[in-house]
Amino acid sequence: MKMPPRPALGAVAILLAAVLGAPAQAGGDPQRGKEKAAVCAACHGEDGNSPTPEFPRIGGQHEDYLFQALQDYKQGRRKDPIMAAQVEALSNEDMADLAAWYARQKGLYVKR
Amino acid sequence: MQARHLLLGAAMLAAGVPALAVEGDAAAAKAKLSMCIGCHGIEGYRTSYPAVYPVPKLGGQHPQYIVRALEAYKAGERSHPTMQGIAAGLSAQDMADLAAYYGAAQ
Repeated sequence: MKMPPRPALGAVAILLAAVLGAPAQAGGDPQRGKEKAAVCAACHGEDGNSPTPEFPRIGGQHEDYLFQALQDYKQGRRKDPIMAAQVEALSNEDMADLAAWYARQKGLYVKR
Repeated sequence: MQARHLLLGAAMLAAGVPALAVEGDAAAAKAKLSMCIGCHGIEGYRTSYPAVYPVPKLGGQHPQYIVRALEAYKAGERSHPTMQGIAAGLSAQDMADLAAYYGAAQ
């Protein structure tokens, strides 16, 4: 088994990343996001392509944009009674994971 | 002219048609897109104010949702300085046309 050359340096880097942790950075885990998305599917559809116009499609949206939207709901910059309640229990990691999952689904596209 | 509009409005109210239900025309949107494409028409374009993040993809979004978003910006219920400024100048017909354009399937 090949060991990484400088494990101590690696640990320092991980620690630094955790301490400095950029909240604006998404980089979530899509598989974990899928597991956390069950409650979202009720309105947004399983893959983020909501079946009714009452709720926006989010499948295929930019990962950072989804993360930002969740942050904005949580901090009250964006107001919606349903979403405000949904994000209450979400951590930054949850939001990153959800954003990673929905961004990888087919759906929205850049229209010129 | 005014009287006719009033009559039409009264008829719509009587028929229970929501006043904001305007039929969108995707072709008519082509002449109204200039303020949108500079951000939403560029792959990966990022806003720099008030925060740096990519502008949302609009292609394939539900047209009704796009109209609701524009109305919320115009009413000041949804805050983004640029979008509030742009939506302030849009009529209900403009919003419906733009929504029809962006909401079309790929």
